[in-house]
Amino acid sequence: MRAIALRWRRSLAWRVTTTILVLSVIVISLVGTTIYNQLSQGIFNEKLNTSIYDATTTTRSAQLQLALAPYERQTTVAKIVGDILSTTSVESAGTGRDVALLPFPVTARQKFTFKGTSNQLSLNSIPIGLRSGVRAHSTPQWDRATMVYADGKIDSGIVVGNQLIIPNSGRYEFYVFFSLKQQSDTLNLIIRNLVIAGLALLLFIALLTFLLTRQVISPLREAARIAEQLASGDLEQRMEVRGDSEIARLALAFNDMAVSLNQQISRLENLSRLQQRFVSDVSHELRTPLTTIRMAAQVIDEAKSTFDPVLARSAELLVAQTERFENLLADLLEVSRFDAQAAILDIQRIDINELVRRTSDYLDPHDDRSIHLHLPLHSVWVEADARRIERILRNLITNAIDHREGGPVEITVAESEHNVAVSVRDYGVGFSQKDRPFLFERFWRADPSRSRIRGGTGLGLAISLEDATLHQGTLEAWGMPGKGANFLLNLPKRVGDALGASPLPLVPEEFTTTE
Amino acid sequence: MSLIMVVDDDQDLGEMLGIVLRGAGFDVDIVDRGDLVIERFRKSKPDLILLDVMLPGVDGIELCQQIRQESQIPIVMLTAKGDTEDVIRGLEIGADDYLVKPFNSQELVARLKVRLRRTTPSAVGLRIGDLVIDENAHSIIRAGKSIPLTKLEFDLLVALAKDPSRVFTREALLSEVWGYRHATDTRLVNVHIQRLRSKIEIDPENPELIITVRGVGYRAGGAGVSEK
Repeated sequence: MRAIALRWRRSLAWRVTTTILVLSVIVISLVGTTIYNQLSQGIFNEKLNTSIYDATTTTRSAQLQLALAPYERQTTVAKIVGDILSTTSVESAGTGRDVALLPFPVTARQKFTFKGTSNQLSLNSIPIGLRSGVRAHSTPQWDRATMVYADGKIDSGIVVGNQLIIPNSGRYEFYVFFSLKQQSDTLNLIIRNLVIAGLALLLFIALLTFLLTRQVISPLREAARIAEQLASGDLEQRMEVRGDSEIARLALAFNDMAVSLNQQISRLENLSRLQQRFVSDVSHELRTPLTTIRMAAQVIDEAKSTFDPVLARSAELLVAQTERFENLLADLLEVSRFDAQAAILDIQRIDINELVRRTSDYLDPHDDRSIHLHLPLHSVWVEADARRIERILRNLITNAIDHREGGPVEITVAESEHNVAVSVRDYGVGFSQKDRPFLFERFWRADPSRSRIRGGTGLGLAISLEDATLHQGTLEAWGMPGKGANFLLNLPKRVGDALGASPLPLVPEEFTTTE
Repeated sequence: MSLIMVVDDDQDLGEMLGIVLRGAGFDVDIVDRGDLVIERFRKSKPDLILLDVMLPGVDGIELCQQIRQESQIPIVMLTAKGDTEDVIRGLEIGADDYLVKPFNSQELVARLKVRLRRTTPSAVGLRIGDLVIDENAHSIIRAGKSIPLTKLEFDLLVALAKDPSRVFTREALLSEVWGYRHATDTRLVNVHIQRLRSKIEIDPENPELIITVRGVGYRAGGAGVSEK
């Protein structure tokens, strides 16, 4: 039932065909019934007229026979009556005609009465209402009757009643039965033919509808299919244009739309490609002079012991700022690569423990014990792009070192069935809840009154988030003003796998109980 | 004193490179036009070429290939795009190492020194499979026939052959052969291992002398080494 309802909703062809079929059934049955009624009425009336005429003639001839009989002798009369009954029945052999003779109730008290039927027809076959009608009128009366015979045979027919006077006995009711068997046979034949014709018509209509809707719907289906393919990005799809019909016009309009869509998209793509090429070219062009500046700055910096303090400090600043400029350039380039969706993962199997150890050693070479590592004793393997993961770690650890306000930084590594997680926690300035949505935005600064951390590009966290997302991992942040921050990185162990629940909490334990 | 030929169209960078390299004790020959390189190279016979691959009018990669055809001299590429196909193509053609702009002077000097380092003659008759390594002659001999290798390829092979029981990670090779301290660009190793294999392996598709240890790195193979 639901399947049918679904098809009804989903398929236009199905809906049209069903509707037309239902309507056709109604119309055909109405027409059929009317035709049948008309025909059966006509046939019945025809039969009735001949029956009445026939009955009247029969009655008259019987009356004549009786009138001519020498009625003083009862046996003679009885013989005539018997003749009448049997002759009618003989006559009736082909036409299904039977007669019945009954005395009026008054007549029944006479000395001689006659009563009888032909062919053992039961007297019960005479409708009760008709009898009083016959007795009351001298004209022929008729009714439908069911003819019941002594041998159990039943037939439906018309009965016409007349008065008959038998000399020396009195008034009688004389009934002539006409079988309608022939007529009903005819009608049955008509019904059968009507039904066959109706079914043939229905079949024809169904076929016609199916073919027509197919002719209309199949281009529509084709259009729908091609529209879907267009929507899914295959911009080269076009509809086939045949002839000059409405469907062809639809196809033409559709194709025009696809072409203009394609043009728009490629125009936009071109624009954004140009834009990204420009950013990338600018970055690359800047690199050559930057290299010269950097080397020059280093040469100057190496000689600074011979400079006076102001010059020496200037040299230091020059070196530091050149480095910062370089980092900014590298980050910008990386961002433009993400924007162009040109970032590609170079997947290797790496040990996160090893990477964390190496990165923190690199960032905290003095080993002043301010970075605490909580690493599992065994290696933690993950399929990832080592360069990107190292960059995420470097950004998170640098960020923590910059904001720790002298406190320790804790790095924890853990794994679950599907995930590898790294959390970087500091106990420094933290951040407020309202800052949280902006944390990973490019060039965003938590506190405008706070000076920017030296060397930071403002792109570190944004790039880290992009890197994590590229791995189908997550990077989340928790923070509380004055209580520090916690950054949690989750990566799937295998490329393309879905992430499971994080093996490490985002919110530090000491805060989960109070909240 | 080693002579370094600097090929760079940017005159300021060329001059700066000259200052830094002379400061580090090298002789420097600066060429600022790509079309002059081959001629000057033949004349001055440098010990190393520092080649900017982004030269106007001349394809740095092609230049690299031309030089490689007539010499096994170390070639270090300078590039502004560290992550492009250019780098890989350059390495495949025969460059030994590359530096991404902006690089710093110390790193540049350190890398060049590694490339110019004289391999100290040690164990004579080092073998790897059916190859004999003659460190003094800087050549590889198979069945009496010498196989020409670049200096870097030679260093790479010696590093592996010296310690045949050890599996070298790519990072370890980067540090020992290229002199990198912090590097995750293992493509450098992969490309050169492929180049080396194409020269010394009988069937480079099924290497027997330099064996890949999946997930770890490479080790020396061959008949002379006990398989673990």
